[in-house]
Amino acid sequence: MNIRNTGILLSKEIIQGPKGFIFIWALVMPILISFVFSVVFGTLFSEKPKLGVIDEGDSQLVQSLIEHDSIIYREYDSETELKEAVETGSVNMGIILPDGFDTALRQGNTTELKAYIFGESLAKDRIIVAVVIGDLLREIAGQEAPVEIESIFLGDEESIPWSDRLLPFIVLMAVFLGGVFVPATSFITEKEKRTLDAVIVTPTSIQDVLASKGMFGLILSVFIGIVVLLLNQAFGAHPLLLVMLLILGAIMAVEVGLICGVFFKDFSTLFAVWKSGGILLFGPAIVYMFPQIPQWIGRIFPTYYLINPIVTVTQRGGSWPDIATNVFILIGIDVILVGLILLSLRKTRKLAG
Amino acid sequence: MNWRIIRALVSKDYSLFFRNRFYSIVTVLGIVFYIAVYFWMPKSVDESLSIGFYTPVPFPTIEQADEEGLEIHFADSQEELKDAVIEGDYIAGIAFPADMKETLMAGGKPKVTAYFTSDVPLEYKDAIELLIKELIYERTGQELDIAVKEEILGPDMLGMQIPPRDRIRPMLAVLLLIFETFGLASLVTEEVERRTIQALLVTPVSITGFFISKGITGVSLAFIQAVLFMGVTGGMNNQPLIIITTLFLGAVMVTGIGFIIAALSKDFMSVLAWGMVTLIPMFIPSFGVMFPGAVTGWIKYIPSYYLIDTVHRVANFGAGWSDIWTNLLVVVILDLVFIWIGIMLLRRKTR
Repeated sequence: MNIRNTGILLSKEIIQGPKGFIFIWALVMPILISFVFSVVFGTLFSEKPKLGVIDEGDSQLVQSLIEHDSIIYREYDSETELKEAVETGSVNMGIILPDGFDTALRQGNTTELKAYIFGESLAKDRIIVAVVIGDLLREIAGQEAPVEIESIFLGDEESIPWSDRLLPFIVLMAVFLGGVFVPATSFITEKEKRTLDAVIVTPTSIQDVLASKGMFGLILSVFIGIVVLLLNQAFGAHPLLLVMLLILGAIMAVEVGLICGVFFKDFSTLFAVWKSGGILLFGPAIVYMFPQIPQWIGRIFPTYYLINPIVTVTQRGGSWPDIATNVFILIGIDVILVGLILLSLRKTRKLAG
Repeated sequence: MNWRIIRALVSKDYSLFFRNRFYSIVTVLGIVFYIAVYFWMPKSVDESLSIGFYTPVPFPTIEQADEEGLEIHFADSQEELKDAVIEGDYIAGIAFPADMKETLMAGGKPKVTAYFTSDVPLEYKDAIELLIKELIYERTGQELDIAVKEEILGPDMLGMQIPPRDRIRPMLAVLLLIFETFGLASLVTEEVERRTIQALLVTPVSITGFFISKGITGVSLAFIQAVLFMGVTGGMNNQPLIIITTLFLGAVMVTGIGFIIAALSKDFMSVLAWGMVTLIPMFIPSFGVMFPGAVTGWIKYIPSYYLIDTVHRVANFGAGWSDIWTNLLVVVILDLVFIWIGIMLLRRKTR
């Protein structure tokens, strides 16, 4: 392999690459998805029950509900709006507070409360909403809790919010879209347009071509990975460790991309593989999203050894000793893939020859 | 229109597709993976709060609290209670003091200990604490004088919630349909780009025959995969005829969209570019099924809503023709519109 030739080809990739759709797609998609997930779905995936309220008077309950941490409060202007919100599941329960509600409650008069319940809401959500409302009403009525509660936490596990559960998916998307597609499509294009034949009759070798395309994919992949981690505020404690992980992950992605580029004759084939084989890459992210799935299943997938260290560092405060084993496995996978690329080079030489 | 020619064109497309052993294997593998994803997903919903109690003296209010959504268990000792919480048997363990009755009678505040695992969501911890308070309020006879008039909107799914795997099923079925759009669009684009369409049109093949053959290829490829997926995952246990009709209409819809994409594209990359722009919004309605309330009324402007909503309501709620006929009517109209636009655009392109 000639470093100078590789450098020249890499500069060509850097100039030509951004003009292609795949480059824009690989760059924009993860950032867009990350943005959508964090802004929109970050709140939608919250496991807190949602309560909709119409306040026909000026109830003190409203302010207490707004400030309460156990539920998400939403206000509605009309009963029609409230019923629609309950029917579609926007809120788990909707209540209508009549005018003079607080006064009646304080005076100990029987007070009527109209409640709409979303039929698909979980039993535990209904209980949470009911006990929260009950407690706040007792506060308004001036009742004092006849008990002292001491809460003790056991174990050292932490609950994982949805915004965190989605991070592995977003990171994999960031690293693998650019890492796989940019080198793969670039190589396939060279084969389709027969420019590869032209290049290798010059002093440039197939290795130079592959290395330049791989380098370009690697740079893009690591860059998007860092951007996505920054967007998700997950670049905190050990940035160097995270960059190292992203580089190792990007190497895996690029190697997969180069193998695809060598073996597949056209884009249709590449996307057909992505359609079904993509699950092999995103498997650990799906397992991580749903803790009910046995977590050992994640270990079957090669990308687990990228995602697990990233999650350990960004979400569990882990450092090198906690991730070392998985990082070495990741390096091992990268080395095996290098071997596969070297094997695939034989095929490339045949193609070029 | 010569049906013999159309049959020949369709069988040509099919043989091209399946002659490529790689394509055929990948197509089969694709369905297998989607089915695997379905079976990986949780098959039940845990909608109860499981709470353990340690009560050194009898506490009748607790048994009365054993309602839908609460699973009440009793431990013989505080240590057993703590172990069960650590093991994850209960979301919380509540230990009442032995002198609780005396303390309450003396007007004092008994000290109750609540054990939680450290990963308990905040809302559950707060709710359990409030529940303890409510139990003691009831025990001391301090009832709230409120008459709650409840109305359940929609089918009451308490105790029979739809598991995540069944919520994701409509999305996976429609995903299979949608991905075939790319295949069809690139098939048509290739014919146009390689000018084989011109070659075909100088034979007795008419432009209508060409579109019909491509349409049949696209519809059948998408439809067979989606039906197979729904069949294996139990999606056709309720009203199979409606599901089949819906998937067929869905396959026609994606074929129409495939024609439009093909007309706008000049090569595979532009098929992909237009495909992404057109098809990504088609996934959005499935979020409304997976996470009820996640999307609002605007979702009805996305054509795939009517497919996903129908599959969801029929497969998961056993809806019948009378419940979903309006959805199917909208899908039929959209099918006609998409196919018409697609053919018009392609006609202009091939002229």
